[in-house]
Amino acid sequence: MRKVFAFLVVGSLLFAACAEDNPTIGGTGGTATGGTGSTTPATAADCAAADADAFKSSGTLTIGTGNPAFPPWWEGGTSDGSEFEFNDPAKGEGYEGAVAAEVATRMGFSFPDQVTFVPVSFNKSFAPGPKDFDFVLQQISYKPERDDAVDFSDSYYNVNQALVSAEGTSVADATTIADLKDAKLGAPIGTTSLDVITQQIQPTQDPAVYDDLAQAVTDLQNGDIDGIVVDLPTAFFMAAVQIKHGIVVGQFGAESDEYFAMAFETGSPLVQCVNLALAEMKADGTLDAIEQQWLADKTNAPVLD
Amino acid sequence: MIGGGGSPEKYQTLPGGSYTPPNGDRGSKILAPLKAEGARGVTIAVASTVVVFGLLVFAILNSSGWPQIKEAFFDPEVFWDSLGKIMARFGRNVFIFVVAEVFVLILALIIAVTRSLRGPVFTPLRILAAAYTDLFRAVPTILVILLFGFGAPALQIKGVPHSDLFWAIVALVLVYSAYVAEVYRAGIQSVHPSQVASARALGLSRGKTMRFVVVPQAVRRVLPPLLNDFIGLQKDSALIAVLGYTEALREAQIISAANFDFTPFVALALIYIVITIPEARFVDWLVARDQRRLQAVGGV
Amino acid sequence: MAPAAALRIEDLHKSFDQLEVLRGIDLEVDEHEVVGLIGASGSGKSTLLRCINLLEPVNAGRVFIEGDEITARGVDVNRIRQRVGIVFQAFNLFPHMSVLRNVTLGPIEALGASKADAEALATDLLERFGLADKRDDYPDRLSGGQQQRVAIVRALAMKPDVMLLDEVTSALDPELVAEVLNVIRELAAGGMTMVIATHEMGFARDIAHRICFLDEGVILEEGTPEQIFSQPRQERTQRFLESIIEAGRM
Repeated sequence: MRKVFAFLVVGSLLFAACAEDNPTIGGTGGTATGGTGSTTPATAADCAAADADAFKSSGTLTIGTGNPAFPPWWEGGTSDGSEFEFNDPAKGEGYEGAVAAEVATRMGFSFPDQVTFVPVSFNKSFAPGPKDFDFVLQQISYKPERDDAVDFSDSYYNVNQALVSAEGTSVADATTIADLKDAKLGAPIGTTSLDVITQQIQPTQDPAVYDDLAQAVTDLQNGDIDGIVVDLPTAFFMAAVQIKHGIVVGQFGAESDEYFAMAFETGSPLVQCVNLALAEMKADGTLDAIEQQWLADKTNAPVLD
Repeated sequence: MIGGGGSPEKYQTLPGGSYTPPNGDRGSKILAPLKAEGARGVTIAVASTVVVFGLLVFAILNSSGWPQIKEAFFDPEVFWDSLGKIMARFGRNVFIFVVAEVFVLILALIIAVTRSLRGPVFTPLRILAAAYTDLFRAVPTILVILLFGFGAPALQIKGVPHSDLFWAIVALVLVYSAYVAEVYRAGIQSVHPSQVASARALGLSRGKTMRFVVVPQAVRRVLPPLLNDFIGLQKDSALIAVLGYTEALREAQIISAANFDFTPFVALALIYIVITIPEARFVDWLVARDQRRLQAVGGV
Repeated sequence: MAPAAALRIEDLHKSFDQLEVLRGIDLEVDEHEVVGLIGASGSGKSTLLRCINLLEPVNAGRVFIEGDEITARGVDVNRIRQRVGIVFQAFNLFPHMSVLRNVTLGPIEALGASKADAEALATDLLERFGLADKRDDYPDRLSGGQQQRVAIVRALAMKPDVMLLDEVTSALDPELVAEVLNVIRELAAGGMTMVIATHEMGFARDIAHRICFLDEGVILEEGTPEQIFSQPRQERTQRFLESIIEAGRM
């Protein structure tokens, strides 16, 4: 008798899980159709005006990013009244800060008065359901597998992964990937840095995967790991500031096609507007200038192959 | 030659008049009314179950967010892709909680018995045992793991292991022994004082009384709470992830982050359910078997 | 020279916190003598028995077993208890052990007997008292009367000098009482020195050589069963016996 009931309960739940979908709303991929007009807007500002009611909070651009806001992506220090630690994104400083400010301005929002920053944890950025932000900007890499859960903008930064370590470790003098085979490496969770270890380097020891970089640094200083893989600009920051006698050992694959993109709710019409802004910034050199300003000294590292 | 006493089927009347059948029904009470009501009761029960769960399922399936939830939490492709990898990593969790549990059961018993020691000369030991349980129940488990996992290697003392696995197991053992010691203590205190008196009256020392009479009964009496703590330990084995060690939950997180999908967590949850339910039934069986013996013999 | 009494109690006092339960007990029990302890609940019967084998510490007074003072300092309490068998009213047997193991635990762990010897003795005793077929059963399978009989066997397996029985039939169903009383009768017939606290007046009258009436912490009256039951001297004894008769227990 108990079995009958167990079957009934489990059966109805399984049935629910496997039942036919209702058709999903919204499309996939980077371009979304939307907006009220039938003509494609020419500028980011036009686009934003046409989709004025698609914004979370009308008249304001709501941008999500991680808290704490780490350099060199965000700079300028904290502000009273802001819940962000390390740096206040509203200052528009740091690479992502500057990109955010520029994109907002081109969409017709005055920065920072008409822009609100909200802290968004990594998992929240792709959780299903309506979002608290218009888009998220926190060193998220585009990956095809991620495409179903969110809509991605075009690239705002082509990223290379790099290896950071300290003087005297077994990898400090590495020049090729083969030199890293026996090393114990670490990477932050949820990053393509981890993919580099498991897919490119493929060391004999399992990688150490950390919730946050501070713990990775502690293990590095303890000698429990030999090096950390992170994106190149972050590697420079860590070597300079967080790791004692830190060095950037090298970067991986100068021609990597990995890039950072903003993440939007699926079907958001705003993707198009942001892409227009990014296109403008690339065309007139603004994006390069931002990179020069904030990441100039953070791109020179020997290539490990 | 004395004749045999009452027949074995004779039920014992406990003082106070309560009645204990020789094979007490410790089974589920959920279905008990059914047995009483007969066929009609069964029909009503089945019908109402189908209606209630059917309504629930209907409500969920037709909520506006359901398609997204389904894709984010119940994606079949991600599920099958991640299941194998998560199960493989789960072997590490199993190692951790099995090894830890063995040490916990032993260390906790030592602490509980120490706390039960009488005699003024044992006062410092009793204080230590009490302080131990207070301390390790107070500090959050994740903190203990962090402190030991990052702190111990940082001391750079020669001979001190650096292994995450080692320190995570040490931390879990220390924390869970504190909880389980209290469970044992409750069990020890629940053994009727006349049992101790009977054993001492035979001339058994305090130590032997503990060993042969009190502890065996105490442990049998607290099997359900012991299982509770073991289940908690099984889940807390995931905390080793904060040290950078990739076990099942961390593996699920990695796959989840790579795919922007939560289905791997559902897969892990299923794995936990699949191992926990048989454990619970096994303990139920153990308890039912011993309850008969331990409870039926009280009053004479 | 007269042999030492099996049991001698001198001016025993026992208090629980502020309440003095035993107020000066003097008692001598000869070898092979059976002494019945009667008295109302709370009169101190159980406490007295528990003091004799030091389950309760004594506040003042002395106790001697076969001439050895057990209340002296530095005495090995466990050894004493091995010489005094006690059976309680309830919760006697160890429920997680078989009957056989219940009986052999004491001899093996306290007396150091070998397993073979202990089991041989246990089996012999169990047979003698009609419990042989229960040897491998657990206590939950036994009736109350059977459990108490096993409890007595368990105490006997220690080969005690004295047996103390503390109202061992009071918690039993009436129809199970007889079998236990028969066991005790047999022990008495075999010459075991016993102190029996009981409400079973008829039984006490039958087998006791001497009856002591315990009232408010002292032995108010003692004498042969005939003396006590037919011609009590003290008024309180009289009243106690009357209440017993009224309750139909005699």
